Amino acid sequence: MTTEATPTTPAPAAIAAATSAGNMKPPTRWSIVGREVGRALVALVIAMIATLLIVFFVSKAPVDALVTLVTAPFSKTRTIGLWVDDVAKLTMTGLAFSLVFQARQFALGVQGQLYVGAIAATYVALSPIGQTWAGLPLGILAAMAAGAIYGFLPGIAKARLGANEIVSTLMLNYIAVELCNFLVRVSLVAPGSGLLTTAKFPKTSLYPVLVANTRIDLGLIFAIVSVLTVWFALYRTSWGLKLRLVGHNARFAEYAGIKANFIMVSAMTVAGALGGLLGSMFVQGQAFGQLTVLFEGGFAFEGVLIAIVARNRPLAVPIVAMFYAYLRQGAQLMNIRSDVPAEVISVVAAIIIVLVASQFGLPSWLKRNVLGNRAGAAR
Amino acid sequence: MNDFLLTVFSAAFLATVIRTSTPLLLATLGGLISDLSGALNVALDGIMLIGCLTAVIVSHYAPWYVGVLAGVGAGAAVGLIMAFFHLRMKADIIIVGFAIGALATGGTVFALSIATGGDKGTSINLPSGSVPAIDLSFLGGIPGIGPILVALFSGHSLLSWVAAFLVFAIWYFLYRTPWGLWLRAVGEYPAAPEAAGIPVNTVRFWSLIVSGALAGLGGAQLAMFNFIGFTANMTAGRGFIALGAVLLGARHPVGVMFAALLFGAFDGLTNVLPGHYPWIPPELIRMIPFAVTILALLLFSYRAQRALALRGVKA
Repeated sequence: MTTEATPTTPAPAAIAAATSAGNMKPPTRWSIVGREVGRALVALVIAMIATLLIVFFVSKAPVDALVTLVTAPFSKTRTIGLWVDDVAKLTMTGLAFSLVFQARQFALGVQGQLYVGAIAATYVALSPIGQTWAGLPLGILAAMAAGAIYGFLPGIAKARLGANEIVSTLMLNYIAVELCNFLVRVSLVAPGSGLLTTAKFPKTSLYPVLVANTRIDLGLIFAIVSVLTVWFALYRTSWGLKLRLVGHNARFAEYAGIKANFIMVSAMTVAGALGGLLGSMFVQGQAFGQLTVLFEGGFAFEGVLIAIVARNRPLAVPIVAMFYAYLRQGAQLMNIRSDVPAEVISVVAAIIIVLVASQFGLPSWLKRNVLGNRAGAAR
Repeated sequence: MNDFLLTVFSAAFLATVIRTSTPLLLATLGGLISDLSGALNVALDGIMLIGCLTAVIVSHYAPWYVGVLAGVGAGAAVGLIMAFFHLRMKADIIIVGFAIGALATGGTVFALSIATGGDKGTSINLPSGSVPAIDLSFLGGIPGIGPILVALFSGHSLLSWVAAFLVFAIWYFLYRTPWGLWLRAVGEYPAAPEAAGIPVNTVRFWSLIVSGALAGLGGAQLAMFNFIGFTANMTAGRGFIALGAVLLGARHPVGVMFAALLFGAFDGLTNVLPGHYPWIPPELIRMIPFAVTILALLLFSYRAQRALALRGVKA
């Protein structure tokens, strides 16, 4: 940067930078993948060290707690089922966030979409249609439509009025949660039950089980199909190309004749449909099979972490989801079997998010002393 | 209907509004500072939550003012962390803010559980201090208007007065001091102050720290006056409503004060409505602040867009 300003005494690092820049080949796709994976792994390692320190600080039996965290999710078929179910759902919310983030919209509305989707699926499942074979597909479609509308609203507000999508989507989330509370209490509550929950859905409206005695159900297929669909839409269609262009530089896209607003609204609507589908996966899936107030418990926001670590790449989303679901399940089991609260995972999540979002390399003193100038300058 | 209106236009309701507005106003001022410096602080809610918990735990062991200062300090520390990752590590401010939010929702429950020995819901077995109310009943001695003055001004939290003073102080800082001009310039068009030799990054650093400190103060007021003690997720989106209030207040200290009072009034309504209209479902009443925020956001955006159009600028 300042090499021109100091021509008399060029710093050795600057020379190294110039020479290495001259020799440098353009980065290949795999070297980029390698670098991103490396960053994610460094972030994971740092976060795990932080977990280690916290657990040793708060627990009376830290070793047992850590062993539970690391091994428990794979200890039984049932826990593996919980993990797979979590992976499928985390993948869906991660995909929904990836899609809007690629269009450079910080829409945080998956939570609201999830709730309205779940409500719509519930109305279908508990209606007479729910008793027939049509209950399953219509419930899913209703959920996706409701989610899409809920994603469309903040999108059109942004396109027409420039209304900040972060604030509007968060407010819509709170409204959807209260709407669910209201509808469950007033019109959907199961008669005779003292709990704020609906009746169990009829079998015809539930996702079929894929692996007996686990929670693994049709939702896993939906997650896989969604990943492939979103990847295809983003990287193999003109809509996806336009969307990524808008995300990179909306102004340039406008000059190139792309209707940036249309792309933005459509991205938020499609992401909303994914959020609605996730709502259906919750209530029509084997895990619940009914609508309960506050069933989601902030789950949707885990998708932000997934999307950020996966760098909004649809194909990377399920891989990140697998790791993160493992940590989440491990933390849950640690919560039950030891004295460490499961919320320790939020500390891990925050560390991973900021580290992955940061442009960090190795500390400069380490590069200078250990790796020499070249590595330091080639950053 | 009549006695509902009587309630709303009574001095007691005004006192309620000032009470519910104060934490919101403090957070909004924090949001204003960072917004004017060019960084949208989406971590306000999380910082408030951290401020709440810190104030509660510290005031269990120390006098109330130490608790308040600890809340402010915790907020400033979080602001410092955000500034470090945003400015030194070049992370996106919204992502950093989101990470702080995630840390706050889970981390406060974690810390509460450790501090209380397993309780993840409330700090009920950790009695904490409270911010004293300022008693101005001596004003009642003034003939004629005395009782009205007492009803209007007496019994508010000390921090309400601090917040009112801060509105003035921040206005003075922003529009009457060189540093305020720096801050606004940095947010408006960073290249210009950079060229003028103003330390842009230092200004941004301090803006985020002050923003965090103000949100922390708002948290302290929330957990030591509005409610006594900590409950999980007790901010209930106030930090995000504050973001809306910054926009509605046209990014001006006096404007955001009125915006915060407006949201505070609707928050106050949610306390008053159930008594008068028990048939309105509580869920719908709880929706009011969020729905009002959306309406305000739409209104502000519409006005801002029209202003741009009038000046002939294409958004």
